[in-house]
Amino acid sequence: MWRRLAVIADMLLLVPVLAAEALRPEKTIILPTDVVIRFTAISPAGTFVAGICRDQKLRLWDVSAGSLSRTLDLGGERLTSVRFSDDGQLVALGGAKGGVRIWELPSATLKLEFTNPSEVNALAISRDRKLVAAAPLEEAVEVWDLSSAKQVAKMRAPFSGTSALAFSPDSHWLATADGDTSIRLYDARTGKLRNSVDDLLLESFAIVFSTDGKYILTGGADKVVNLIDASSGKVLRSLAKQDDVLLDLRQSRDGKRLVAAYVNADDPSKASPVVIWDLETQSPRTRILEPGVVPNGGEFLLDGRLLMTSGSEKELKIWSVSP
Amino acid sequence: MLDSSGLSRREVLQKCVALGSITLIASQSSAAMLLAFEEKELHKPTPPNELGPFYKKRAPQTAMLRAAGDPGMPLSVSGQILDTRGEKLPNVVVEVWQTDHLGHYDLDGYRYRAKLPADGSGNYKFESVMPGHYPDRVCQHIHYLVTAPGHKPLVTQLYFATDPVFEGDPDKNFNRDPLIHSRELVRPVMLVGDPKDIHAAVNFELCLERV
Ligand SMILES: [Fe+2]
Repeated sequence: MWRRLAVIADMLLLVPVLAAEALRPEKTIILPTDVVIRFTAISPAGTFVAGICRDQKLRLWDVSAGSLSRTLDLGGERLTSVRFSDDGQLVALGGAKGGVRIWELPSATLKLEFTNPSEVNALAISRDRKLVAAAPLEEAVEVWDLSSAKQVAKMRAPFSGTSALAFSPDSHWLATADGDTSIRLYDARTGKLRNSVDDLLLESFAIVFSTDGKYILTGGADKVVNLIDASSGKVLRSLAKQDDVLLDLRQSRDGKRLVAAYVNADDPSKASPVVIWDLETQSPRTRILEPGVVPNGGEFLLDGRLLMTSGSEKELKIWSVSP
Repeated sequence: MLDSSGLSRREVLQKCVALGSITLIASQSSAAMLLAFEEKELHKPTPPNELGPFYKKRAPQTAMLRAAGDPGMPLSVSGQILDTRGEKLPNVVVEVWQTDHLGHYDLDGYRYRAKLPADGSGNYKFESVMPGHYPDRVCQHIHYLVTAPGHKPLVTQLYFATDPVFEGDPDKNFNRDPLIHSRELVRPVMLVGDPKDIHAAVNFELCLERV
């Protein structure tokens, strides 16, 4: 995820929340006094919603009960990145001083802890739950093995760092969206470069693998979604350009839908849409841009539902998005 | 010479001991040793600063970023390009990108983005306008990507001592922008030209480290 997401989310949350056509209220969580949420992540298992809070704590709320379940942190370090594993059994947290911790859920048992040389831009957990990748600002990506608690690979772009990371569905490959605008695909355990996509002119801030592992989908400052062939590294096509910069991407489990969050590059406080793309027709299917509706997190669940969150002070709203 | 690295002679000696270079040049006198150190570290590399999200590849080759009639304060930026021995580097690619005077980056095209033509003499120069402020960043700045064979790519940013954020005292206030880690990146601004046609001029030396 884009490391500036936190800053932007802070600004976006100034907008009041109203219901949009496609959004159905699912749950309202009343926040403890003085707790303000900067951005959220939703467990694909649908069990927890994680709120990165201004007091530098990660709070996990039980989605069905609406109750606070766990409070995790990095010892006071400013939190910059959060990521659930695809099955929701692990949660990884990264901070401004490079701290990374991974916990097993629901027990919140600490599984691994390491320190990157700088602020953690992005995190990813492999689907087999064996590897964690972290991208420190302007530094090399590090891949750690969860069972041995050892670093297994390091991937350095020619200059600058990496903005977004994604493991292939078979956990073998790691795709990186790098500051030099290239997309690189590495063997996740050896760090060997498989291919480099050098045709994109602007940096990508979001990257996902298609569910079958054949394609990589990226988007960022170019305002488009690029569909890349994972084996050849060729950009096959781009979905229609939007007005705003693309910040985050999630794909549904059946591979049919893609949810893309956008932000206005000049003024992040301006409302930008969340677009749900139909990947079969390659056209926008739903555009969520009702006055005041500003999702600050979203995820496709294992059961196919798409949940989004909004709200920052006093309450956190969870919405289900109609297909 | 040592001033540029901010080290006293005694500190240099201590540094030599710490780095183990004493053993390498044990037969030399301490004066010779200092000379050897000075030759190696004549110039301090330009401090790096993060790339930011809006770098765009394949910028046009030009030294004129400003178009006729562009609003904003005209700005000329120039400087030497050196290695850490203080020798000029002739074959350097300098890419610069910035916002317009209102703080907008051009993502669709290449306005205020350029790859500077190498002049072969170890100097660079370009003409632009003073960049504006934008909501996500505190200070006005110009991004640099500097690459040369055999040297580490330098990613950095140039800031202006005249930025209102510093309130006239960049020594004290440079870290009001949390992304400015080095005071050295904040450069003095000279106002030149006749009163009707004033423009700003900035000197920003670039120093690259060997790989
Ligand atoms: Fe910038």
